[in-house]
Amino acid sequence: MTRVPGFVRKHRTGVTFTLLLVMCVLLILFSNRNVVLKPKQVGQSFGSVFQIAVHSVAGWFAGTWNSIGELKKLQQDLEEARSRLAEYERVSRDVGDLRRENQALREQLGFARTLPVRYVAGEVIARDPGSQFSTIMVNRGRTHGIRKGMPVVAFQDGLQGLVGKVQMVSLLSSAVQPISDPNSFVAARLRSSRYDGLVAGSQLPSGNLIMTYVRKLALSDIAYGELVVSSGMGQLYPEGIHIGRVREMTAKGYEASLELEVEPIVDFSRLEYVFILDMGE
Amino acid sequence: MDRDFRAILLATILCAAAVVLQSTLLHWVALRGVKPDLALIILVYVAVRRGSMTGQLTGFASGIIQDLLSLSPVGFHALTRTLIGFLYGRMEGNIFLDPILMPLLLTIIATILKGLVASFAVVLFAVAAPGFQVFAGPLWIEVGYNAFLAPFLFALLSLVKPLRPRDKERI
Repeated sequence: MTRVPGFVRKHRTGVTFTLLLVMCVLLILFSNRNVVLKPKQVGQSFGSVFQIAVHSVAGWFAGTWNSIGELKKLQQDLEEARSRLAEYERVSRDVGDLRRENQALREQLGFARTLPVRYVAGEVIARDPGSQFSTIMVNRGRTHGIRKGMPVVAFQDGLQGLVGKVQMVSLLSSAVQPISDPNSFVAARLRSSRYDGLVAGSQLPSGNLIMTYVRKLALSDIAYGELVVSSGMGQLYPEGIHIGRVREMTAKGYEASLELEVEPIVDFSRLEYVFILDMGE
Repeated sequence: MDRDFRAILLATILCAAAVVLQSTLLHWVALRGVKPDLALIILVYVAVRRGSMTGQLTGFASGIIQDLLSLSPVGFHALTRTLIGFLYGRMEGNIFLDPILMPLLLTIIATILKGLVASFAVVLFAVAAPGFQVFAGPLWIEVGYNAFLAPFLFALLSLVKPLRPRDKERI
């Protein structure tokens, strides 16, 4: 009976190593199938507190440093701003007229309907600590009404682009799975030619997405640079949100559908602010 | 408190701080989206200095922390780091740690080993890792980045008393 404890004591390091490896493998097996979610959420809640703290402190220092430089510019900007103000007042009157005209045209064409979607604005506080995964951490969590599966959009260069969906929610933060993740699938549509397909993340070095299940007949109708938007099918993402632009088209002889390479509208490396859409339960 | 336990605790805290830094501030110094893996360099130092037991437990704990802050399955980073901690710990007392060459060499091998073990885990457990490319550009950027930082980080860590080699404690 004393042999086993004796063996364990003698090979303490090796036994611990084996136990740790087994534990790692079991954890991967369970968490890869979404069985173990609670401990991860608890850990994320705890860890995100530090991420928020570091992000805030860094933001404060960066803000203070910038404000010193900006003070110098402030004086000359003030003079410039005053002269511009007069011009803007004139432009503002023109814009008011245009807005009224635009509103009237929209009503006439029946395009005035707006989606009654509530949103929560958030800020990107952290990204994946490594380079192999594409986690985007946002400073909005369960306390702000965020739920798993909510779509996330962002405005960049004047366009509203699809970022991804909320994959994990903790108390104060959420982990967003971007559409560039290979596990992400979005029901999509080519905006001009109206062909449907499925956009998925890829492992391409360019970071482009892959759109599949597009009918082969569409090859002559699709233009390079054509916008790809969400089709709203599947009800996960709202309809009409920009996903990207067509950059490559491949028609393999043995396949019935086309494969399109889509450059995302959103540049994930420049992402700062996002909007989490509440599509209802 | 037991000296080994104190070393594990301190090394894990340092690794956790490194992981938080990697996910926040180091984003600004990323080259083509690749950041240096400070936690790995710390792990290599701790394992070589304190042995397999300290190395593997620190690797496991720091790996779990990284898993919790990532979309990776829990255990993915823990697996690679436990293995690296254990293997590097076997070198305890057998190598002369000069200020530049050995930190550089140890870190380069550790980063490549991390890539290999990760690729094995990605294939074996069908993990969807978007940024994962075996022996592609990102790995070599990380190798270079880690190698560049290793001598500085090793020099800093050598100032931390609880992480010093065990034979020096006896003296």
